[in-house]
Amino acid sequence: MQGEVVFWVQSGLNCLVLGGLLLLIAIGLNIIYGISRVINLAHASLYALGAYFGYTLVTTGINFFLAILIAPIMVAALGAVIERVIIEPTRERPMVYSLILTYGLMVFMDGMLKYIWGDAIHFVEVPAVLSQSISIAGIPYPFYRVFILIVCVVVMIGLALLLEKTKLGMAMRAASNIPEMVSGLGINMKLIHVSVFALGCMLAGIGGIIAGPLFTVYPMMGGEMLISCFVVLVIGGLGSLKGVTISALLVGAVQTLGFIFITDYAMVVVYVMMAIILIFMPRGIVGEGKFE
Amino acid sequence: MNIEKSREQHVRSKENAIKYGFWLLLMFFLTLLPFLLPNPFYMRLVTELFIYGLLAMSLDVLLGYTGLLSFMHAAYMGIGAYSVGIFLTYVEIPPSLWLSFPLGVGIVLLIALPVGWLQVRTGGFAFALLTIAFGMMYYTLVWKSRDITGGDDGMIGIPKPDITIGNWSLGSTGDPLIMYYFTLFVVLICFLVTRRIIQSPFGAVLEGIRENEERASFIGYNIRRFKLLGWLLACCLAGVCGVLFTYLKGSVSPTMMDATAGGAVLMMTLLGGLGTLWGPFLGAALFIFGQDFISTLTEHWMVFMGLAVMLLVLFMPKGIGGMINQFLEKRQSTKGE
Repeated sequence: MQGEVVFWVQSGLNCLVLGGLLLLIAIGLNIIYGISRVINLAHASLYALGAYFGYTLVTTGINFFLAILIAPIMVAALGAVIERVIIEPTRERPMVYSLILTYGLMVFMDGMLKYIWGDAIHFVEVPAVLSQSISIAGIPYPFYRVFILIVCVVVMIGLALLLEKTKLGMAMRAASNIPEMVSGLGINMKLIHVSVFALGCMLAGIGGIIAGPLFTVYPMMGGEMLISCFVVLVIGGLGSLKGVTISALLVGAVQTLGFIFITDYAMVVVYVMMAIILIFMPRGIVGEGKFE
Repeated sequence: MNIEKSREQHVRSKENAIKYGFWLLLMFFLTLLPFLLPNPFYMRLVTELFIYGLLAMSLDVLLGYTGLLSFMHAAYMGIGAYSVGIFLTYVEIPPSLWLSFPLGVGIVLLIALPVGWLQVRTGGFAFALLTIAFGMMYYTLVWKSRDITGGDDGMIGIPKPDITIGNWSLGSTGDPLIMYYFTLFVVLICFLVTRRIIQSPFGAVLEGIRENEERASFIGYNIRRFKLLGWLLACCLAGVCGVLFTYLKGSVSPTMMDATAGGAVLMMTLLGGLGTLWGPFLGAALFIFGQDFISTLTEHWMVFMGLAVMLLVLFMPKGIGGMINQFLEKRQSTKGE
């Protein structure tokens, strides 16, 4: 009996951890879509890049906490460059082009990751403070997973404050509704697009560096995360922040429990769930999706 | 007025004659090609090229004519290939072309119908995302069902059926020369049928949906049904490719339906040019030779493929087919003046 309670509490927390990570990455993809109407297929490659940056920074002797600050900023800077060079020229063309373009970027970036860091699996060392085990009401649990949850919550609160309380956030929210009006009011839309893209990439970078020590760092990590993110976006409804938050936690839970109970076919369960939700709720779980 | 009209007709009939002459010459060349090639290896390579050309063309039906993007179109070719492979390997009757061919295509359609029905319920972006999700699902299923599909080793030594009409046997699909002509024949039939479909009113509706979905729905067309039919046509052609592939290779492996394969098909279609049915064949040829060439130089061909896709979309969005068309139109208009 005691063992069963321990198992369920640990699994429940694992569900939350994966859900939080998925949310962190999917929400970046989602705010970029909400404002620029672009799906960045290379988003998960940027997540992988964040993890690799983290690995390199930590192995060169930089403190892990400092790396958590530096790596996402490096990813965000790269994101800004990507936006200017690749996304901007295709803004006026049909959406198929931006999808194919970012697909090419994804293939390119995954190839570059393999070229620079090789095929091997890398392990990221975390400080002693994080690698210990703590007990929650007598149940042992690795502290690093709790740390991931804390980071996710802090980042989400920060994001909410940015969107709700600052001028830039206000302009972003307005631009997601009527971009012509915002640009008519004298706000530089180009700046908005770049900053939103960089912000989304930064979220992917944060997700990458904190996921690195948990899942280890390897070239395929982006691809796996990308598929999960799509499922989250489709279930939650593209462009809906509330829907994506709910669906990230849902997918995190189903995926975690699936890997415990049916191992091999866990992802198939997730796809079937997505299909069922699509049949009955084609606009996502809260019905706010802006599919175009 | 009358004279002008007759002159125009004259010019047009002359152009048609050139066009048909060109196609006849091409067919003549392709019929003689096996005798010009030095060894069976190249014959098999050209056969493979036809198959991938057809696959790229089927993606063009979806992307260039209907405006729907599928990132994992190779997955449907894989389903066709695996269906035939499993049928020929496990069912204890002499391998039969007439049973396995429709079976392979039928299974692809059976899977594509419900999946397509789900996919067209959402818009363009979500459609593309869903093709990736479902494609990965097929891949996972094939990869994990080790007992039937052989997992990541794939299936090898699949029996090759004979091509028979009644009691009269034309030869085995294992013979490179027979397989070459059989593939050429099937691909040609598929090309002509697809061309006819695209040029019919149905094709015009598909193009209308691509250009402006809202307008097409206001005219009174059921958008979802037309999208679904376009999707089924593309998947059916992909299934044909899969069946031909199994006959040609006698083996299937999961790598032919993973994300890289899906991207390769997309690349062939883009390179060849959207909205021209013959362009993707050129694209497939260029891609296969290009990949062969690059992979002899470096193992990091992904870097080059990604770069090539980006450069293509940025600087040559119409592909080779589009450029040739543009060139022909320009020549035509200068002649007209």
